[in-house]
Amino acid sequence: MKQGYTQVKRMTPIMRVMHWVNAICLVGAIATGLYIGHPYYQTLIADGAVDKYVMAWNRYGHFIIAIIFDVTSIVIAYLYFFSRFEKPYKKVIPNTKNIKEFKNVFINLISLNRKNELNSEHADSFNTVYFTIFHLLLIWMLLTGLQLYVHGLGSGTSSIGAWWPWMLHAVTDWTLYVTGGSKMDVRISHHLTMWLIICWVVFHIYYQVWRTIFWKEGDIGIVISGTKFAKDKSPKSE
Amino acid sequence: MSDKVEAVKKLFTSQSSRVETNKGDTYYQELFDKCEARLNEMRSHQPANKLDFADLLEENGIDRREFMKWASATTAMLMLPPMFTPLVADAAVLMNRAPVIWLELQDCAGNSEALLRADGPKIDEIVLDIISLEFHETLQAASGHQAEKQLDEAMEHFKGKYLLFVEGSIPMAMDGQYGTIGAKAETFHDHLLRCAENAAAVIAVGSCATFGGIPAASPNPTGAVGVMDVVKNKPIINIPACPANPANMVGVILHYVLTGQVPELDSLLRPKFAFGYRIHDNCERRAHFDAGEYVEEWGDIGAKNNFCLYKMGCKGPMTFNNCSIVRYNDGVNWPIGVGRGCIGCSEPDFWDKYAYERPMADAKIKAPTGGVEKTVDEFGLGMLTAVGIGIGIHAAASAIAGKRENSGESHE
Repeated sequence: MKQGYTQVKRMTPIMRVMHWVNAICLVGAIATGLYIGHPYYQTLIADGAVDKYVMAWNRYGHFIIAIIFDVTSIVIAYLYFFSRFEKPYKKVIPNTKNIKEFKNVFINLISLNRKNELNSEHADSFNTVYFTIFHLLLIWMLLTGLQLYVHGLGSGTSSIGAWWPWMLHAVTDWTLYVTGGSKMDVRISHHLTMWLIICWVVFHIYYQVWRTIFWKEGDIGIVISGTKFAKDKSPKSE
Repeated sequence: MSDKVEAVKKLFTSQSSRVETNKGDTYYQELFDKCEARLNEMRSHQPANKLDFADLLEENGIDRREFMKWASATTAMLMLPPMFTPLVADAAVLMNRAPVIWLELQDCAGNSEALLRADGPKIDEIVLDIISLEFHETLQAASGHQAEKQLDEAMEHFKGKYLLFVEGSIPMAMDGQYGTIGAKAETFHDHLLRCAENAAAVIAVGSCATFGGIPAASPNPTGAVGVMDVVKNKPIINIPACPANPANMVGVILHYVLTGQVPELDSLLRPKFAFGYRIHDNCERRAHFDAGEYVEEWGDIGAKNNFCLYKMGCKGPMTFNNCSIVRYNDGVNWPIGVGRGCIGCSEPDFWDKYAYERPMADAKIKAPTGGVEKTVDEFGLGMLTAVGIGIGIHAAASAIAGKRENSGESHE
């Protein structure tokens, strides 16, 4: 190890698995979701009848991805409060310490790393807030998505029973009123939120790469090995 | 906002939108007895007009067998078991005991037209002929003071008993001065409230009367609203669609004549028997949707092969109506059957939010400021571009700052 650096653990294996499951799901959800919103490739008329299920497969894929997102969201929501490693909620509470840390990281970002007064050994408040925004967007996608899904269960029952559409209505019908009153508003919101998430991802990737380059602490490795290297800042080492 | 809060509250306290098609033998037996008693009572009433249903059917060349076929189809539409068929047939005959007052407000009279201009009078239309239409501004011979007198008399005579059908939206801007009626220039708003006061139930027919429809489309210069926004404390039934399907109007009146009650309604006050199902799920072109076979432009090979109209902007997947089942003009045809997409005419705000004949992703939406209209994807790509530019600037600046630091004084 390079002198003056210590290796710090930042992500547990389950967190890393979750990160990549979410990343892959996100790409899949966008690819299938864009097709559902506006089918952008055509089936070939000469295709065999058994292959001609393109929209249905896209919708199937989209929905399976949604279920995987559901599961990871529940696990993440649990870890958010009860993780034995780092409880992210502690970093979102707007207390003096967190606000100071948030400011420091933000100033570091906009001062192009000329000001660096932060402790990079643990998850910082800025990134945790950013992470929280992502999951709020994701929850909104789940709620609006399930609202769109329940439109297809007009009979009020499903292969797994009447409780399922009943529950979907009970849990997601409010999204109709919040977005503007019609089923189309929910769709538009669902589609627009996808773009917000894409923007989120673009900045997220950029920021992690930027940190890696300018902090020179191997931050990008966190999500693969779970660790990074932190400069030893204690005055003794100098 | 308080409206929205109320709506959300209502939502969590109301039942699910489930359409219960089988409520059990005991329920139907009870309902049957109740309906029978009611019909017997009605039979003793004096008919309000001299039209005889049997004669009318005969005049139009419809035999008893055809009528009974209609009766069983209508029974099924109302989600009643087959044993109700004779009662439905009886109720149709007794329709001339149901007084109806029809108001015409801010609209194109398309719903009246839908009734009148059918290719030939079908049973649904004949049933609507025979209802005791006490007042209909467009159809009646009387006009001016005479018409006003007729309305007052009808409202007095059938106080608390008549069904009030309303066609057209209510302009609320400028104190309702956009629409006035009669010699006293009564605004549509006052006119509606006066007529609704003593009605047994108010039935809003067509998209304008239900949700404001086309008059309420952006920018809604007249401040048009639907009946349910102004009439309170009255049973209201919405029969949206542009025009409303006569089959559904008959269904609602029949249900009222039969049971004396309004049919089961969904959260938008639409009868569940008609609006409980999604067009998409009963569409004859659904297989093409699932297969990914779409009409790409009008008249292409897909259009000739009856492919799905989703990419031409069909809104069947988000529209609840029974026209994919009962169709129009006695089952002759319906929009998708003639090869053009659904425009979602039975949903709120359909003109702005459904009828643009493009997939939703290409629909123009308004910026939060209310101004610029762009498609969802244009908005999204705009945001993405802004993020990209921001990142570009930040990255370039960071690189320059980093270099300067490296070439400058050796720090730390």
